[in-house]
This record gives sequence, structure tokens and C-alpha cells, in this order.
Amino acid sequence: MNSSMIRYILGNVIKLEGLFLLLPCVFSLIYQEKEGAIYLVLAMICVALGMLLTRKKPENTVFYLKEGCIATSLSWIVLSFFGCIPFMVTGEIPSFTDAMFETMSGFTTTGASILSDVEALSHTSLFWRSFTHWIGGMGILVFLLAVVPMGGGSNMNLMRAESPGPSVGKLVPKMRHTARILYLIYLGLTLLELILLLIARMPWFDAICIAVGTAGTGGFGVLNSSIAGYSVAVQWIVTIFMILFGINFNAYYLILFGEVKKAFRMEEVRAFLLIILAAIVVITIDIFSMCANLFDAITQSAFQVASIISSTGFATADFDQWPTLSRTILVSLMFIGACAGSTGGGMKVSRYVIQAKAIKNELHSYIHPKSIRQITMDGKDVEPGVIRSVSVYMITFFAIFVASVLLVSLDGNSEATVFTAVTATMNNIGPGLDAVGPTQNFGHFSDLSKWVFIFDMLAGRLELFPLLILFYPSIWKDMVSHRLRKSRKNKV
Amino acid sequence: MFGIKPPAKQGLRILIVGCGKVGNTLIAQLTKEGHDITVIDKNPQKIQDVSNLYDVMGVCGNGASFTVQQEAGIEDMDLIIAVTESDELNLLCCTVAKKATNCSAIARVRTPDYNKDINFIREQLGLAIIINPELEAAKEIARILYLPGALEVNSFTHSHAEIVKFKIPEGNILDQMKIWNIGKHIKHNILICAVEREGEVYIPSGNFQLASGDIVSFVGTQKACEQFFRDIGFDTHKVNDTMIIGGSKAGYYLASQLIQAGIKVKIIENDYKHCEILSKLLPEAIIINGDGTDEDLLLEEGIKEVESFVPLTGIDEENIILTLYAKQISNAKVVTKINRITFDTVIDKLDLGSVVYPKFITAEAIIAYVRAKQASADSNVETLYHMFDSRVEAIEFLIDKESEATGKTLMDMQLKDNLLVCFVRRKGKTFIPTGQDCLQVGDRVMIVTKHSGFNELTDILA
Repeated sequence: MNSSMIRYILGNVIKLEGLFLLLPCVFSLIYQEKEGAIYLVLAMICVALGMLLTRKKPENTVFYLKEGCIATSLSWIVLSFFGCIPFMVTGEIPSFTDAMFETMSGFTTTGASILSDVEALSHTSLFWRSFTHWIGGMGILVFLLAVVPMGGGSNMNLMRAESPGPSVGKLVPKMRHTARILYLIYLGLTLLELILLLIARMPWFDAICIAVGTAGTGGFGVLNSSIAGYSVAVQWIVTIFMILFGINFNAYYLILFGEVKKAFRMEEVRAFLLIILAAIVVITIDIFSMCANLFDAITQSAFQVASIISSTGFATADFDQWPTLSRTILVSLMFIGACAGSTGGGMKVSRYVIQAKAIKNELHSYIHPKSIRQITMDGKDVEPGVIRSVSVYMITFFAIFVASVLLVSLDGNSEATVFTAVTATMNNIGPGLDAVGPTQNFGHFSDLSKWVFIFDMLAGRLELFPLLILFYPSIWKDMVSHRLRKSRKNKV
Repeated sequence: MFGIKPPAKQGLRILIVGCGKVGNTLIAQLTKEGHDITVIDKNPQKIQDVSNLYDVMGVCGNGASFTVQQEAGIEDMDLIIAVTESDELNLLCCTVAKKATNCSAIARVRTPDYNKDINFIREQLGLAIIINPELEAAKEIARILYLPGALEVNSFTHSHAEIVKFKIPEGNILDQMKIWNIGKHIKHNILICAVEREGEVYIPSGNFQLASGDIVSFVGTQKACEQFFRDIGFDTHKVNDTMIIGGSKAGYYLASQLIQAGIKVKIIENDYKHCEILSKLLPEAIIINGDGTDEDLLLEEGIKEVESFVPLTGIDEENIILTLYAKQISNAKVVTKINRITFDTVIDKLDLGSVVYPKFITAEAIIAYVRAKQASADSNVETLYHMFDSRVEAIEFLIDKESEATGKTLMDMQLKDNLLVCFVRRKGKTFIPTGQDCLQVGDRVMIVTKHSGFNELTDILA
């Protein structure tokens, strides 16, 4: 176990967070808010602590998948821990559990909030709250890979642990360049959305917060009414960008290099767009009677569908009031989620595509028991290992899901509340139904339930296994016994 | 604050087809030098393993297929290196790639059938290099057999200069001698360029004191090296006869080299059919059909009396055991070829004597080419050779144009630490430069250094 490399990675993550914490300070200067001082002090503490941890670069920079997973999970925990401190110190969210919930919800791009009055927050904290979405969307470690030369090829193990999807590949031979391309696309799309929102006459502070919130497919708004208070033009811009950020970034890479056809031939992207289209059509028909006109119905259904499937969680309508069919469709969309390799959450369309093909193969083998059929995706063979890991992922997901539902149900809320609250946090969506519906919040749950949600959000964002490995006893036994042996040796 | 350094030189985009022994050695070395590597292999597991260890992108498929090459981005490649098992596939890979784009191509071709056609194939297909590791390994083994006192012999400037490695035995004249004192005792014209002692490598200065057990590398012309060996009391006669175990490709190449030099060759090969083929190809050699790992057979064929012994079976473990056995019962000079095994530290401890690694020979030749391709126009890497587990590099430059490193005396230039300008070959003469000499256009210069990644001559400047 290369624990000094894990320390080095953690140190760099803390350093980066220190730098990110400087951004809210800019807003506190503009709005003359004293909260900025807290962010500034914390930023300096983070940088100093990071410097301390990265002072010595480990001699052995090779690490394997297990170290990659541990480093990733710990990074996210540490990230959220430092990220929640400002909320507590400013007194805006005094309880540690609540602050941790809010920050974890930010970094994991869930967008579930415990706040009943968002508008009471200072601009500084509002921006930081939304900006955590942007950091968490593409991933802090991918950012780290883009800016810090880590040396060695084992970096792939970090990317694999953090990036969503059943199998992770590179765009270009070098990890660093791949990470840079991803972030450039990410940044470019964010800026594009910001510009369009400004053109649509959105107030600039709101535009920035909503743009970074959409980019990470997060869902924290700046108004209590989420997006409903803005013009229809803004709603459509946000709708389109939510879908765009839910698409596999490989597609953008292909488009950048002029292979538009190839990008639209990606099976996952097609399936994603098809699901969206079908859901919009059905929901529009279903809610037509409740809306002023057809356009209004389409606007509302498109926004909600895009928001849920891309796991963003903004809302323009209280869909909790919608007919049962529409609500059921939205909850089903929560489980599907966005594309692999996007900033969105959920179980990912590609997993469903692979699983559907595996089911088809299984049926086929009942008719022709000795037949052999290779599962392919985008014309490439899908290895049996990937198919197996998809199945295991789905089963593990539901095992954790059921356990969480059981724990949360201790609070005595309605079934719909408990079920959709866990669904919305594990899939990094945000709002659910009933007591956690779009107009409600998570503030009323007990501390135990909140910690369950915090765990679920992180497990969902890191796609279960990198986090679960922390609970595998032999990992810690190895680390402890290794340390003991080392110190014993030093004494001798 | 994140230790960001300006990127070193822009790396080349290189496509490597085949993740075997040589492929992996190349990937390890080339990623270290900062190139953008894409690999193609048929086996998805191998791709997975390689991309877990090194910063490369993998594509699974047949490297000779244009579609697969396109997927790997052949249009933007600077270089394709085909090192799969099959010669024909390698050539096809390069041919397809050459048709698709104007990248350079390197192919590995090993079969003796093509040996005579190499130049024809290379020119007609427009390849940069055709590399034959078995032949190169055979050449290296032959050079050691010509100078049995040495552990390793490598040639530079088209065999005009050699770099020779040997171990100082107990009680040798060099024991406890300082390098600047050598001249007082022995008239010599060589330069000691690197010394390995207890796992550490030094580029020695004049007051470095040699000791028995040191492994010393020195350079000089072929004659000077021989003379120096004679003066320090080493045997410099080439061996008279040799016994080769295994009639593989390397065995065949070695035998034909040695026969040309007038050395008697005996090959022990297990496969009867193969023996027949060898007997036709090598009429002067004695071909024995039998199991080379059979102790009785080896004794019968005179392993005790033979002057040199080269185990070249396809299995590294057998080669090592045979070497240890030969060292025990005879005084023969033994050269061991190791193909695959990576436990270098264990092999070092075994004290096998001379060891030849074909995969490193191949990789070095290709890396020398890559560095030359990457360098700007004023100088060119001609040969590259790694000493002491890649801790020291010997590089030969051909100076094409004036640069900051030419026209000044070596004394006036600020050279990097741990670096020696070993020799200069100018107008057909090879000499060891002193502080008063300066480098000129047209010279071939050999540098020995502990730094790595030199592309051009100006890299020697501090």
C-alpha cells in the first residue's frame, strides 16, 4: 500500500480547494460582505496544510487501483469537510451535520438542500454553494490530473475511480492532456451557457450561479423558487444545457475534431436523447389539462424531464402535484440518470444499454442454448468483465438502496418521501416527491437519516465501489500492520 | 506551487503495435521520455495491463488493419513501431501505415529467411529501420567472444570505437590505483567513463581510486582496448571454439558470425528437422541432435574443454542454469542471453558474467532513432547505449551544423555534472579529447552521462 502517495494526493486536493475558496472572496468584495474574511482565512489554512502534506514528493509514485480508490474517496470526504466549514463559521448553517449535508450535496452535484430559505444566505456563501457543483461535476481529481504533473502511468487508477461509467477510456494518449481536454470542454460549455443566460437578461450573479450549477448538473438555485421565477427563455436555455451536460463528453471531443456523425452514432447518446424525447411527449400529454397552453406544457415537461434525467434537480413546477403517471415517469428517470463520462449522476444510460443487450442475449440463449453472441456497443466488443461489473453494480446499488430506505424510514415519514429521498440522493438528483418534493427540503430529517443521505450521495457520485472499498477490512489491516512494521524497524 | 515545470521538449506521437517483451520495454522507456504513446494489441488484457502501468492509450485489434490504425489516430502519428510476434504482420502494419500517412516506420523482422533481403525490403517499403534483435544480440555475443576478458562490448561510430565493460579481479594492477596514475604505469589510450561499485554508479574524475570488484567501462578504439587489456594482464585472444545450446534464430546468426571469424562452432539442438535445416545453412558447423540440458551429453561433447559456451534456448531459466553449470565445471567464457525475465536484481546477484538482453538492444536502437528524430537540425543521435541498468547513457552524436557547443574548447564550455566527452572521431581518426580540443561540424562525438533524455549536442551544456 503506497500510503505516502495517498497523502500526497490528499495534500494536493486540499491545496486546490484552498485556491477554489478564493473565488467566493471575490464576490464578498463586490457585495461588501464580511463573510469573505472567513473564506480567505480558510483558503490560507487549506493552502498551508496542503503545502505541509505535499512538502515531500513520495519516491515511489506507482499506485494501483486500490490506492486510487482510497485516495479518491478520502479526497471527496476531506473536500466536503473543509467545504462545509464556512457555512458553520458564518452561522448560516450552524449544525455540522446540516453543513456537511449541504456541502456533500454540492460536491456530489446532488442539489438536495436542508435550507428552507435560500435567499437568506450571503452572496459569498450562495456562490460557494453553487460552485461546489462545478468542482464536483467533472471531479476534483480529474482537475488535479490536468494541472499537477503526478508522474507515472498509474494516474489512470485515479481517473477510473472518479469518472462515472462502466468503463473509462482516454481521449488522447496522455492522462494530463485527456484531463485538460475534458476541463476545457467543461469550461467552454459553462461559459457559453453563462453568455446565453446574460443575453436572456438574467441578473449576472444569478446567471453565474445557475451556469455553474447546471454545468455540474447540481441543482442549487439562488432563489427559493429555483428556476420558476425566471423568464421562459432562461428556462429553455437551462433545459438545453442540462441535457448537454448529461451527454458523454467523448461526443464533444468527437465534434471538436469534426466527427459529428460519429458523435451522433454513439449508442448511449442516442438512447439518452430518445428517452428524453419519449418522456417529454408522454408527460406533456399527461399534464396538458393542468397548463395554460401546449407551449407551457412542453416547457414545463421538458424542463422537469431534463432536470431529472441529467440529475440536476432544478425545478420550474411543483411536479409533486402532477398526475401519478408523470410522477412515476420522473422517478423512473431518476434511476436511469445521465450518460457515462458526463457530469451527471444516476446509474448511467450505458449501463442500461449494456444490461438490455445482456438480457436479450439471455433470452436468445433460451431459444438456441448453444448459440454464441458477442455483445457490442458502438461497434466494439463489450468484454464479459464489463457486463459482469454492470450486473454487480446494479445489484449492489439496490442493496445499499434498500438498506438506506430501512434506516431512513425510522423517522416515520410517508413511503413516498422515504423512497424518493433515498432515490434522489443516491442518484445525485436533488428533489423527490411528497415531503422532499421540489418545494420542500431535507431539513426535517433526523441526523441519522442525514448521515445516511450523505453516505448515499457520495456512494452514488463515486459509483459505489471506490467508497465501499474503505469498508473492506483487509485494506486497513494492511495499512496498520505496514505502519507498525515500519516504525518497529525504525526503532531497531 | 504545484511543482509545475515548463513542459520539456514536445514529445512525438508514437504508435506501438504489439505489447510483448520489446513492446513493453519500449513503452516504459518512451513514456519516460515524454512521448505520446498509443498501443495496439490483439489481447485486451495486455492493453489493460499496459495502460494501468503507463500513461498510454490502448486500442484493441489487429494492428495491420487500417480501421484499427485509424481508430488509434494514425493520421497524426509521427512514428509507427511494429513489434508483434510475426515478421510479416510487422511489415504489413508499416506498409499500411505508410500508405495512410507519411509517418516514419520501424519494423522488427527476425526470420533468417529475410536476412539477405533486409535492405531491399527497407528501401522498397520506405521504412526507417528494420530491427533484428536476434541478429543484434548475436553480434553483441560475438564481440564478447572476440574479447573474452570483457563482460560487455559495444561498438560505436560504425565499429571504430568500442565501449568495454570488465570487472577488476583481485590482485590486479588496477586495484587501489587512482585513475590519473594509470598513465604512469601503463601507456594507454583509453578513457574510463563509468564505474559501478556496490550498486552505485560513478562517472569518475582523475582522483577516483579503483578497487578490485569494481565494474569498469572504458572507451577506446578496438586496438587500444585490446592493448589496454593485454597491459593489465587480461587474455585478449579470441576464443577458438564455442558451444551453442539451441539452434534458434539467435543461434544461427551467432554461428554464422563466428564461422566467418574462424571460430569453430558446435550447436546442440533438440529438434531433428531443425538440425537438418541448420546443417544445410551452416555446413562448417558441427550440429548435434540432442537435448542441450542433458548433463551427460554436454560432458560427452566436451563442455569441460570448450573455450566458450553460449546457451541460447528459448527458456531463460534453462539458460541461467546452463550458465551456472558451465561456470562450475569448466573455464569456458559463458555468455547468457535473457529474453524475458525481469528480476534484474536476482540475476545480478547470480554473477553470471556476461549477460545479453535482446529486448534492451532493440529498444536502445529504436530510442536512439526517436531521439534523433526529435532533435533539432544541428546534431543527431547516432547510437544510444544504456549502461548499468539505464543509469548511465552513452550517446553518439553526429554534428551537422554549428551550435553553441561547437567551435569552443571543452575547457571554455560549462558542461553538466556527471558527464564525459569520451571520444571524437574526425576525418577517419578517433581520439580522446582534452580540455584544449573543440568540437567541429562533421565530428562524431560520444558522450557518457548519468542524465537521460539527451536529444542534441547542446544538451551537454549546463
